[in-house]
Amino acid sequence: MIRSRKCPCADDSGLWLASSSVLFRNDRRRRGPHRRRTPTHPRRITEELVPLPGRTPRLQATFVPAENAIAWWGPDDLAGAVRALGLPDGRPGTCGLAVPDGATVVAADRAVRFADLAEAVPALRGLDRRAGVGKSALSWRDAARLVDSGTDASFADLAAAMPPAAHAVLNPERTAVAAPASLLAQFRAAVGAGAALAEVAVDARLRPYQVHGVAWLSARPELGTGGVLADEMGLGKTLQAICLLATRRTATPHLVVCPTSLVGNWRRELERFSPATPVLPYHGARRELPGEFAPGTVVITSYPVLRGDGPLLGTRWDVVVLDEAQQIKNAEAQASRAAARLAATVRIAMTGTPVENRLDELWSIFNVTNPGLLGTRGRFRQRFTTPIEQRRSAPAAAALNALVRPHMLRRTKSEVAAELPPKQYTTTLCTLTDEQVRLYRAAVDDAFGRGLGAGIGRSGRVLALLTALKQICNHPAQYLGDGRAEAGRSGKFDRATEMLTEIVDDGDRALVFTQYRAMGELLSGSLGAALGTAPVPFLHGGLSGDRRDELVRAFQQDDDAPPVLLLSLRAAGFGLNLTRAAHVVHYDRWWNPAVEEQATDRAHRIGQERTLTVHTLVSGGTVEDHIARMHDTKRGLADIVSGDTEAALAKLSDEDLHAVLDLDLGALS
Amino acid sequence: MPVEFGATPWGRAWVRTVESTAASGPNPLLPRARSLARNHAATVTASTGLVTAVVAASGAEHAVRIELPGWSAETGAEAERLIAGALAAHRGQATGDLPDSLEADLRAAGIAVAVPVDEQVGTCGCRTRKRPCVHVLATLYALSMRVDERPALAVELRVDSAAVAPRPDPDWVPLHDLDAASFYG
Repeated sequence: MIRSRKCPCADDSGLWLASSSVLFRNDRRRRGPHRRRTPTHPRRITEELVPLPGRTPRLQATFVPAENAIAWWGPDDLAGAVRALGLPDGRPGTCGLAVPDGATVVAADRAVRFADLAEAVPALRGLDRRAGVGKSALSWRDAARLVDSGTDASFADLAAAMPPAAHAVLNPERTAVAAPASLLAQFRAAVGAGAALAEVAVDARLRPYQVHGVAWLSARPELGTGGVLADEMGLGKTLQAICLLATRRTATPHLVVCPTSLVGNWRRELERFSPATPVLPYHGARRELPGEFAPGTVVITSYPVLRGDGPLLGTRWDVVVLDEAQQIKNAEAQASRAAARLAATVRIAMTGTPVENRLDELWSIFNVTNPGLLGTRGRFRQRFTTPIEQRRSAPAAAALNALVRPHMLRRTKSEVAAELPPKQYTTTLCTLTDEQVRLYRAAVDDAFGRGLGAGIGRSGRVLALLTALKQICNHPAQYLGDGRAEAGRSGKFDRATEMLTEIVDDGDRALVFTQYRAMGELLSGSLGAALGTAPVPFLHGGLSGDRRDELVRAFQQDDDAPPVLLLSLRAAGFGLNLTRAAHVVHYDRWWNPAVEEQATDRAHRIGQERTLTVHTLVSGGTVEDHIARMHDTKRGLADIVSGDTEAALAKLSDEDLHAVLDLDLGALS
Repeated sequence: MPVEFGATPWGRAWVRTVESTAASGPNPLLPRARSLARNHAATVTASTGLVTAVVAASGAEHAVRIELPGWSAETGAEAERLIAGALAAHRGQATGDLPDSLEADLRAAGIAVAVPVDEQVGTCGCRTRKRPCVHVLATLYALSMRVDERPALAVELRVDSAAVAPRPDPDWVPLHDLDAASFYG
């Protein structure tokens, strides 16, 4: 029996929904309107195929939810026409729109300019009725004027009066356009979400697709249904969820459930993006929930705690966010059952890989977020799992798609490429395990207890201590030299495994850099099994030149080569071209941004058309975390920030050094 | 291993019309018909009272057409009553699904969901003399699969019922419903 790692109907990108599958590979209509802007697939814009009627085309306007923008279109000199009317000219793009072609209406790609709602709405309000624009633009002028004070009835009147040009935005199949009432409702939600975000001062500049994501999430509680945010890794799911939580200052608290290794990261991200939101980590042996919560409180807990915790199940929640929802992909698991039993206004699952292996897992996730949507598990198997997985039934896949699509939001990097920078940096804060905490404290206490001395001897001892601490952060097995790297002993190791699994399941490739040969070998030994691939190769200085070249060639060219390559930071400095990787993971820190950047650029070369995501793993509360903060804030000891960090540390007094090295668990919990 | 044909009672009703126990012996065409259906050789279009299909077999395409008699007015009314009752009792039903208990209720009331082969009016473009031919049988197997995937289809085949008809998606307007002349208002 053929056992593929992915759902058999997953396409190259692992994207099963929206584009659903090899089953529809020949169907050009299946591509979403915004895939058109994928730089890797340049397409000629079919402007001349569908000419507008003979007279000079007037300016048309259509709200495009996925872009969180009004698309201007129509006149030949679009930017000029928009500016002449005193409207914001926005960014250029291509959009799938319906257009008349003789007596029928057809789907076409049009050159448009996307004006973000925040700018477009005030400008539309001021638009003169006699400005000579198309009726679609006047419709959106009316919508912009109604949005603050309009009644449902006035919006219904407007919907009835809208010409098709005003709601010409196509569905992913390119067979239908958005209904006026639905598009107006989304417009109201988007403007509302934008205003709410401005009000709570979320400390981040959201990209348009992220604002759309926040509006989509914010609409869930009103609709009374949960949903799945399934954006590809690196598109900012956490930030979008934080915006949802920060804009709902409800009396009942919110709950975030995530893997143990991410509890600290969630706390740090909430503090960073929404400092005003009260945050309450709830894990560890002495965890406790208060009797009363400040409005809008976010409680953060982990899946292991959720499994058997009475107080969590006894509390009434507003929004429950289930991060890394692969954790609830098994409907029988205790965590899944507990998640389904949480009393909440709405449950939102987040995952970058909605269908890792099997449709059963999709059922399990939706059973938590949207109970009943997919029917009972047995029926789901009869109607969908068996037909799709065993006989590749196209009608069943299409029906499942239709059922799920309103409740799942998934964007891929290629869809939103125009909105992304060429390199995206993210830092992931990892939680230490109890074993790591014990070893770390003992190493610091031991070194300071024996004394670090002075002069040459001091710098040697400081470097040895730093190395020990970094090894402990990496994995106790590296520090103790006690065999294979097992899961559960290092928060960083577990997190890296989870991230790489997600990247590989998405059909992407990654480079993982470490400065330690021993750590590279530990990762090499364990990652293959975790990822279900062949053993993951490790490129380091001890390999012959030929062997290194072969590893690079295989990674770049072989389809069946392991999709992850481990590299020693020192060995990978020059001359390697590894542009097939869409992700770079820095497993430990060199503390020299230039060296790290040079490594990153193995994967990022001029001409690379995809966005490269650079992940840096940092163990929270440790020396890694302290120094990362100093680098980020450009504050602290100048030499540490700008020079040779390790040498600068050796020059510090005992007291200052202790402050940098000491474990600060308060930073996390 | 899950059941390939007739995973639900709705699809099973249609499988039974092909594999009727009343037949004198096993029909030698059935394995070939199942194989065609399994391998997507039959592309089926189904509506109330009519099933058409294009069956690709042995390098040729055969147009199959099967007319299905509707329920009598009396039967139809009784069926509608049972359907309404079942849907009211199972409000959380997923789109396109029908409760299995409804199939049992219909059967208990003497209302056949599927149409026996001898009551179907089946034609096929092939030249074989034996009827129903393998292409018609393959179409019926493929139909049973469609019914398993969307049990509501079993009722739609027999009666044009608003109760089970797929509701148009209120969020989208098909392109062919748009008026080109008033497109720009």
